[in-house]
Amino acid sequence: MFRNPIKDKIAFVGVGSTGFFRDANARTRNDMAIEASIKAIRDAGLGQADIDGVVGTAPAAREIVEALGLPKVTHFSNQPMPLVFGVVDAMNAVFSGAAETVLMYHALYRAPAISRSAANDPFRRGLGFGGSPAPAPTRHDPEVLGAEGYAAWMSRYFHEFNAPREVLGMIAVNERSGAVKNPLAAMREPITMDDYLSARMVREPLCLLDMDVPVDGADAFVITTAERAKDMPHKPVLIHAATNGITARNKEENLDGLRHHGQHVVLEALRAKSDIWIPDIDVYFPYDGFTPITLQWIENTGWCKPGEGYDFLKDNWDEANQRIMIDGRIPMNTHGGNHSEGGTQGSGHIREAITQLRGDAGERQVAGAKNAFLTPGGMFFNAQGLVLRTD
Amino acid sequence: MGAITDQELLARLPDTLIDHDNKEFYRGWLERRLVLNRCADCGFWHHAPRAWCPQCWSHNVVPTEVSGRGTVHLLIFLHQGPPAPGVDYSTPHPVATIELAEQEGLRIQSTIVNCARDDMRIGMPVKLTWVERYGAPYPVFEPAEA
Repeated sequence: MFRNPIKDKIAFVGVGSTGFFRDANARTRNDMAIEASIKAIRDAGLGQADIDGVVGTAPAAREIVEALGLPKVTHFSNQPMPLVFGVVDAMNAVFSGAAETVLMYHALYRAPAISRSAANDPFRRGLGFGGSPAPAPTRHDPEVLGAEGYAAWMSRYFHEFNAPREVLGMIAVNERSGAVKNPLAAMREPITMDDYLSARMVREPLCLLDMDVPVDGADAFVITTAERAKDMPHKPVLIHAATNGITARNKEENLDGLRHHGQHVVLEALRAKSDIWIPDIDVYFPYDGFTPITLQWIENTGWCKPGEGYDFLKDNWDEANQRIMIDGRIPMNTHGGNHSEGGTQGSGHIREAITQLRGDAGERQVAGAKNAFLTPGGMFFNAQGLVLRTD
Repeated sequence: MGAITDQELLARLPDTLIDHDNKEFYRGWLERRLVLNRCADCGFWHHAPRAWCPQCWSHNVVPTEVSGRGTVHLLIFLHQGPPAPGVDYSTPHPVATIELAEQEGLRIQSTIVNCARDDMRIGMPVKLTWVERYGAPYPVFEPAEA
């Protein structure tokens, strides 16, 4: 049922990033998307005429084509977040021949409703999530679950397993410890478990330090065939396996439960497609838009049994470096993740995985890293998996 | 049903996105009846309202009043959020997912009233009641005997 004819046939050959900011910023979303795109194309040693595919979240792909002056594009599309939706579309486009070399981009822009400094920027009036125009206003009922769904299912986890809040606190501290060493990150001040436990509640049982930070910024990537990648400037990073996953009951409150949701579909497919599994990986990137997502990925991926996340994290805690170090060897979200680098909906995880596998991660570098395991997305309607490798 | 015209429904819930799939759910609000979709062929309930049964693919879906009995399945407390009438985030505001008695997994989002915060918990039995919000009835839940 799970074929993977594309395995190792497509490679990431370019990356570019603006870095991420949460303070006042007099630039537009387009400005940053274009900067990251130019950087990624130049990083791949390419120019305008080489890009014949464009896949992104927002802004619209046709705008990026025009902004970059790409003369002839045969595949262009916009995909939802997180970024593996775009990765799957881009790699399939290259594999099928719809395009030879695809630019993939993702830009973040804080809306006035979620950021004080964005609210003070008169040029952001009328913008909603991600910097797209806000939908027409309707009545607000706080009982409607959106992102609150993560807090809601964490309430169920606490009810079922009676775990202490520290299980999430260790994840938050780990993310921040990564961001401290990442020059692209928005949040670079270290935090402690005491900071976590005393942070104000927002969506109880989740506090301020359980949530990612809204940022401005953009990431971009260039994807082409593994064959072509051999002649390009950087060590190719191969897409070994990629998948999305969803179940019939994917609306937040309708989930079957903590033991059956989108993550389980992803993991079953990824396990079947990938020759590389968790004992073989060198660096690990579970999603962390909200800390319960990370906890769910860790348990569902099989590092430990459901409900045993607290003991697992305690047993694999690197006290000296205030981070998770699985089996004393595998670090997690070395760049700080959505939580502390900035809420990039997974583009940061992919960029950092590529950077690590190229050997370009500086003081964050995992020595000899060859295999990266990424699980972007949450539990409801956007769970994803991606295994990247180098030779 | 039928006493409240489409025009009255739209006039009394002017800022709600009402369409042909969910109009009976919201018409039920104005009559203080909780009306969810049930398949007349296979008996399967679903929510939010859709025109086709997700279980058997029948189009014979009938808006049907539920008993209003259920249990708290998920429970959070909002300490901040956009303003809404009668909602006090400083208390903080409870948001509950209620699993209704009619069917396992049939759930509705609401809040809990007439209950001290420390007494609210996952698994507690609740029953439907109504408050006024934006000038119209709004379904909420209160503690019930088991």
